[in-house]
Amino acid sequence: MSDRHAENSLLSTLRGLATRVVGAFETVVNPVTEREREYRRIAALCAPFAVLVLVAGLYPLSEVVRISVSAAQYRSVGFSLDAYATLFGDPYYRQVAFDSLWLTTGTTLVSVGLAIPIAHALEKYDLPGEDLLVTLVSFPISLPGIVAAFMILVLFGNNGVVTAVAAALTGSRPTDLAFAVSVPGLFVAFVYSMVPRATLILRGTYAEVDSAAEEAAQALGATPFETFRHVTLPQIRPGITGALILTFRTGLAIFGTLVVIQTLVVWTLQLSRELGVGYDVQVAGAMATVYFVFTFLFTVLGLRYTSAEVGI
Amino acid sequence: MRPSPSLSRRFGRSVVTLTLFATVAFLIAPIVLTVVASFATSWTGVLPSGFVTFENWRAVLGLADTIGSQRSMGWSPLFRLPLGGETLTVLVPAELAFSIGLALGGVLINLVVGVPIAYAVARYEFPGREWVNAVSVLPLVPGVILGVAFLRAYPDLSATSFGLIVGYSLLKAPFMVMAVQSEFESMPLQQLEESARSLGASWPRTFLTVIVPNARSGIVSGAIICWALAAAEFNFSYIVWAKGTQPLALFLQRHISNSSFTKAAAAVSMFFFIIVAVTVLLQRVGRRGFDIRGS
Repeated sequence: MSDRHAENSLLSTLRGLATRVVGAFETVVNPVTEREREYRRIAALCAPFAVLVLVAGLYPLSEVVRISVSAAQYRSVGFSLDAYATLFGDPYYRQVAFDSLWLTTGTTLVSVGLAIPIAHALEKYDLPGEDLLVTLVSFPISLPGIVAAFMILVLFGNNGVVTAVAAALTGSRPTDLAFAVSVPGLFVAFVYSMVPRATLILRGTYAEVDSAAEEAAQALGATPFETFRHVTLPQIRPGITGALILTFRTGLAIFGTLVVIQTLVVWTLQLSRELGVGYDVQVAGAMATVYFVFTFLFTVLGLRYTSAEVGI
Repeated sequence: MRPSPSLSRRFGRSVVTLTLFATVAFLIAPIVLTVVASFATSWTGVLPSGFVTFENWRAVLGLADTIGSQRSMGWSPLFRLPLGGETLTVLVPAELAFSIGLALGGVLINLVVGVPIAYAVARYEFPGREWVNAVSVLPLVPGVILGVAFLRAYPDLSATSFGLIVGYSLLKAPFMVMAVQSEFESMPLQQLEESARSLGASWPRTFLTVIVPNARSGIVSGAIICWALAAAEFNFSYIVWAKGTQPLALFLQRHISNSSFTKAAAAVSMFFFIIVAVTVLLQRVGRRGFDIRGS
């Protein structure tokens, strides 16, 4: 009896939901009030973007999820969690995940740590040639990872300038000092790509800081550091959290740099290797799925449970 | 007794300024050195030597037959002009022209999808507006993941020019939305819309002939940024590209990984010049370089 009752209430809930969906659809197609017409306009404005995300983003991603649980190579049939068992059971993949996470976390902290004083100097101090400095700091944003890696080779490679100068000063051989193709070199290359982006986000945050409060603190005798600590920092904290989230995402997505400096196998590099001959398409699919779910949850939770500011 | 001046009062400003200048040097010095080295014969000592030669550039641009010239830029006919009895074939550097074309295709899609959604978020209040905003300004997936997804979903289409264009447009759409949105937010949208409507223009006509032309500078800079980023897209291209003419970023990678240092420097410098040209264009339309938040 109670089953029947539950079934009925479920049915009526579904019916109610269906009515609401159909109602919303009718509102959009056949608006009556001005408010409904506005909803139709909003729907029309968002539609092209939604189509692109659906066709080029969500549908391809669903195919990736499908192959990751496929029972056969190359074709999506049956259901099997073998790929995920490999991913979570094999110590090799655990190592790859661990390496990706510590490298990205470390470079994110360094990049945002550098970006705070850079944004501070650009927004608070009257520096000569400030526009030029802003242009120079922003320039590397447009450089792909492979070029960032080449920049590190130019500085710290076997023929690198810093290497050559250090070798001349210390009398050791350049090849002993070159560290571009090593894990520290990779770390520096990541920072090269991430600092300009972190700076850009924090400059936006700094532009909104209330400078009257800072001047008041200074006039009342606070030292510059105390002013920063107690007046500026609380105002830019949401921006810093936002910068941490976005820079972390940037770092996880880096791939081109790793193609040139292949010293540490991180998630994206391993993913591209899974596509090669003799590797496993299901595992590639599972890796892509795990990556997507991880960054999605990370971003959603980050934005939901912190006061992070993202976007303009 | 006077309190001793605090550390931050004495050194704070210099330390912060020094961090800025050191980072700018770290970011820019290798760029300058690369451009300098592209005109050098060799680079074995502290600094490149043997100036000034254009051999590296000629080799990279495919204008000279040298060892390793299979890595050089190919030249392909763009169109043929019938001139009297003869035909004049106009040749263009293949990879460069290919990438310029692909990126332009991506920008066209970005204009169609990015401008309207930016307007919806900037102009209207509606339930879920925050989420629409977040989805439109945050990249959905990175290039590598999207590449894998394209290979699975569209096995025949993904390596074609059309596949590359669609992929680029999804990857770079957030930059268009951000550029246009910040322009919209500086405009009195409601007044503009209401004035146009009260003068009898329909809503679609208002949007297309009043709102969009007024947001010109934001749209133009968004288009330039998206174009440059799409022309440089490596990760997605690397995963999906199969055969034929390579996109520019793959051409750069094959030089960085295989060529002599000075030749690779010439290839990378060519790319720098493109970006500098784009930055100058951006400043013409009133923005300070790549002044759009990326992620």
